[in-house]
Amino acid sequence: MAKAPKQTKDWSPKSWPLRAYRLFTSFKLATVVLVLMTVVTLLGTLGQVEHGLHAAKEKYFHSFYFVETIKGIPLLLPGGLLLMLLLFVNMTLGAIVKVKKRWKGAGLLISHFGMLMLLAGGFVTWAFSTDGYMALYPGMTSNRVESYREWQLEIAPLSKEGVGEKAWIYPSERLDTMRSDEQRVIHAESLPFDVVINGYSRNATPVPTSAPIAAGVTGKEIDGFKLSPQKASKEAEQNLPGCFLEIRPKDGSPPIEAILWAGSYKFDPREKPMPFTFTVGDQLYGALLMKKSWTVPFEVRLDEFLFERHPGVSTARNYESRVTRLEASQPDKALEIKMNEPMRYAGYTFFQESFGPSGSQPGDEMFSQFAVANNPADQWPLWSLVVTGVGLGVHFLVMLVNFTVRSRQRTAPPSAKP
Amino acid sequence: MKIPAFLALLATALLPASLVARDAPKSALQNYVPWQDDTVHAFENLLVQQDGRVKPVYTVARFTLLQFLGKSNVSFQTQDGENHRLHYAAWFLDVLFRGEIAKDLPVFVVDDSEVVVQIGVSPKSKRDRYSYNELLPGRAKLAELGAQYGEKQRQYEQSEKDPQYELDRVEGMILTLGRNISSFEYLVGQFGFARQDGFLVNANILPPELLELSKRLVTLEMLDKMPEMTLDQLVQTIRQQPGGTEEERMFSGALRLFFFHANSARGLNFFPPQDADNEVWGSAGDLLLAALESKEQRPWAKEQLAGIQDLVDAQKEGEPAFLAALQAYSQKQHETAEARGEGHRSKLEIQLYRGKWFSNSLVCFVLAFVVMAFSWLTPGSRTGRRLLLVAGILAFVGLALNVYGITLRSIIRERPPITNLYDTVLFITGTAVLLGLFIEYCTRLGVGTLVAVFSGLLGMFLAMKYEAKEATDTITQLVAVLDTNFWLATHVTIINIGYAAGLVAAIIALVYLTSRFAALFHGRENAEFHRALTRMNYGVICFCLFFSLVGTVLGGIWANYSWGRFWGWDPKENGALMICLWTLVILHGRMAGWIRDIGVHMNSLVLAIIVTFSWWGVNNLGVGLHSYGFTEGVWGALYSSWAVLGLFMAMGAAVWRRERKTRAERKAPPAAGRPATA
Repeated sequence: MAKAPKQTKDWSPKSWPLRAYRLFTSFKLATVVLVLMTVVTLLGTLGQVEHGLHAAKEKYFHSFYFVETIKGIPLLLPGGLLLMLLLFVNMTLGAIVKVKKRWKGAGLLISHFGMLMLLAGGFVTWAFSTDGYMALYPGMTSNRVESYREWQLEIAPLSKEGVGEKAWIYPSERLDTMRSDEQRVIHAESLPFDVVINGYSRNATPVPTSAPIAAGVTGKEIDGFKLSPQKASKEAEQNLPGCFLEIRPKDGSPPIEAILWAGSYKFDPREKPMPFTFTVGDQLYGALLMKKSWTVPFEVRLDEFLFERHPGVSTARNYESRVTRLEASQPDKALEIKMNEPMRYAGYTFFQESFGPSGSQPGDEMFSQFAVANNPADQWPLWSLVVTGVGLGVHFLVMLVNFTVRSRQRTAPPSAKP
Repeated sequence: MKIPAFLALLATALLPASLVARDAPKSALQNYVPWQDDTVHAFENLLVQQDGRVKPVYTVARFTLLQFLGKSNVSFQTQDGENHRLHYAAWFLDVLFRGEIAKDLPVFVVDDSEVVVQIGVSPKSKRDRYSYNELLPGRAKLAELGAQYGEKQRQYEQSEKDPQYELDRVEGMILTLGRNISSFEYLVGQFGFARQDGFLVNANILPPELLELSKRLVTLEMLDKMPEMTLDQLVQTIRQQPGGTEEERMFSGALRLFFFHANSARGLNFFPPQDADNEVWGSAGDLLLAALESKEQRPWAKEQLAGIQDLVDAQKEGEPAFLAALQAYSQKQHETAEARGEGHRSKLEIQLYRGKWFSNSLVCFVLAFVVMAFSWLTPGSRTGRRLLLVAGILAFVGLALNVYGITLRSIIRERPPITNLYDTVLFITGTAVLLGLFIEYCTRLGVGTLVAVFSGLLGMFLAMKYEAKEATDTITQLVAVLDTNFWLATHVTIINIGYAAGLVAAIIALVYLTSRFAALFHGRENAEFHRALTRMNYGVICFCLFFSLVGTVLGGIWANYSWGRFWGWDPKENGALMICLWTLVILHGRMAGWIRDIGVHMNSLVLAIIVTFSWWGVNNLGVGLHSYGFTEGVWGALYSSWAVLGLFMAMGAAVWRRERKTRAERKAPPAAGRPATA
């Protein structure tokens, strides 16, 4: 019998699109991506012990690649974003476009479509959602939502009564990119002075120079205080940034220096922030590190906060807020927000998140804290679950019936036992 | 000797070895008169509010003894040579009403004699049980070290687990022993206010004149003569130096004694509140202080406390009088509680523990294992098949007992089956056994029975050890976010079914790999049997994927309702995701042609590692919203189990290498001069 000639592989550029198509539709790529996703998920889980949740999320899951050092050896690994993108492409091309459309495979087709919806929802959430919180004591009304972790520098002219007017803001996106040894000179057109920031630390505490601990703190001393950088907390929400602020009046007056520390911001809804105040010309200004905030298109008034503990112990049994939603063009709407029962309105969702102040005892007046999320893909996971569940259910039911029938037919003789 | 025969003999040898009891420790008691059963039954029905719920004293007794001793029975030998074995309810009755006896019962287990050496007590053996009186000489040192290590532990928690503050093993044991001794003293002192017989726990801290005074003063009568004062005022008054007159000294002494009794009587909340809207029950100490603070409260408080006084007095009169008093008190307490809508499931709770459903279930699985091991002696014979059937029936009975116990727990707390980590052990065990029996029903290969028996045995043993290790009530009150039967019944249940399936896949893989590895030596491959195992495992992996995926997404939807985000990369969420991912790796790797039969089984073992990490490991990372608290010894157990699975993977690798070599030999052209074989 004549030997068949060995086929040579076509590596010409013309074949590249087809090769790419085969690669991106292959089970092999799917397997590799899934294995890597498992590894990255494991590293991201273990990484939380050392770095905390927020830092681990950014490093492992919200990245295209990252470097992991294992026993001193640096390894370049794909990040969660890249892997999910690859999986999305692979599933779309392989499981939706390329796959033969047969009744037998209908379940798998449906379930893959559901998973694509889930991944797409994850991307929309990552790219477009916002989240923050709103804390209110009974009787308080607000439409302002604050960020959990993002801090910005605000400088505002103050009236004689100390009330701030329209503020100049150095945004958190820029502040976050500062190194501790970096100095930034910002020429603000709307202000009669330049703003100089240096020594920014994501977590810091001011210490009086008279304290023994201050001896080990390098850096400038201002008004009897130094700024001591601290190790970043694993809970990113706990970090209190600080920096040195220098105001350089454009009229040539002597510069004004201060230490700004996030601890001067309010942490109880009733507290008032304590800005650093200074005068340039005849105008009084206030400067403050404060949380990034934004408004929602309606106001919420907390009418009553109900808090119950299990009898005789400190464990919370239930906490819920009775609120009124206030909107100019709509009648006031009384609502209840409680655990597992959020308020959804105008694209925003208010969840009963927590309460305070910490250490409150029964009978103390307490504030209620809502998590406020704006996520265009809020309900996508639910829809994708329904689609995926139906798909997998159909597929595995067919498999189970086949397996059961075949097993009964092939019931092994006694000699087939282990 | 054939391997199945060896396993059978091993199984039968292990069973009696596990039943050999240790010698009971000697007690200083000359003799011991046990309580009559009726008395114990009347006592165990009493109600107590603890950990946010009303429960029978039976439950409190069970977990208190588990906490002290790690067991639910006290064994000891009295000086007259008699051996005794006390049930926890009888022991608790001694603690409350015969404290002088309870102090000589060896109920404090010390795992390392270094602990008692450090507090200045002569050690017995390396690990032993001590009575309160035996540890009493080291009480002051124990309190001092306990305070020191308690502070160190607090600093450890505050410093985000700085290793310099971490307690070493012995320090941890000293802290635990100190807390146990303190709890015991509070229990023994509960009814000290009702005694004038001179027996008081911690009597050594009272000066002689107060001890003498305690024999003459009746606390409840004192209440009528005392002025109204708050706790703070009481403390301030007894700190002041008494006046010079006899009356002033007497008054000061009476106040100090009152404070001593009120302080000793904290902890056990026997008394439903007077106000129907108030949910918090009180202890005798709470009632004494409430009565001191307000004269209005005194008649009611005295009436409640008089009930305890009657019990204490009746106990001195003899057991028949005590039984009658207990029954009367219990009836009245139940009527009050039921009128408030509380305690109506206490009898069911007693039934749950008295029935020993879970330990009996374990016994069934042990028996099933032994019977199954015998079936391996005669594989394929009629006897072997019958023995396998008996093993299957025993496993089914074990499953029924497990399900009955879980059902009772669900009814008692009016919740779906899983609300905490202990529940997951029971539920996953039941699910794995059910899956095994279903596989057996479909395939009749004996493997399903093996899966059912092995998972039942392992799971119920784990449940028993976990309960003893944690030694806290496993019927717990839920935090606000978990207060939803819908999500508990859907997400939590479904995800745990996924865990169970992942573990069942691993057990099938163990059977497959053992069988293939054994075939390397005896050379008899049963290809059809192995193919059947792979089909079986593939089906279980699909089942695991379905439940893990649906459960994970449901969890995300719940998180979206509770916390405002579908996915937060929380360790528990990641664990569930990894299970989904790895099942998908197996399914896609198989379709890619990278994973064949042996690969499916080896990857099932990796799946089991991920499942156990997700189930137990992530809870102990100490981060995330699902962290249920540290369980000591979990990492050691996990590493051991992963090492065992690694061993099986090594066996699988050996089989894979041989298989590859054989395939290569088959493909290779015959050597020159030798005929090709078929």
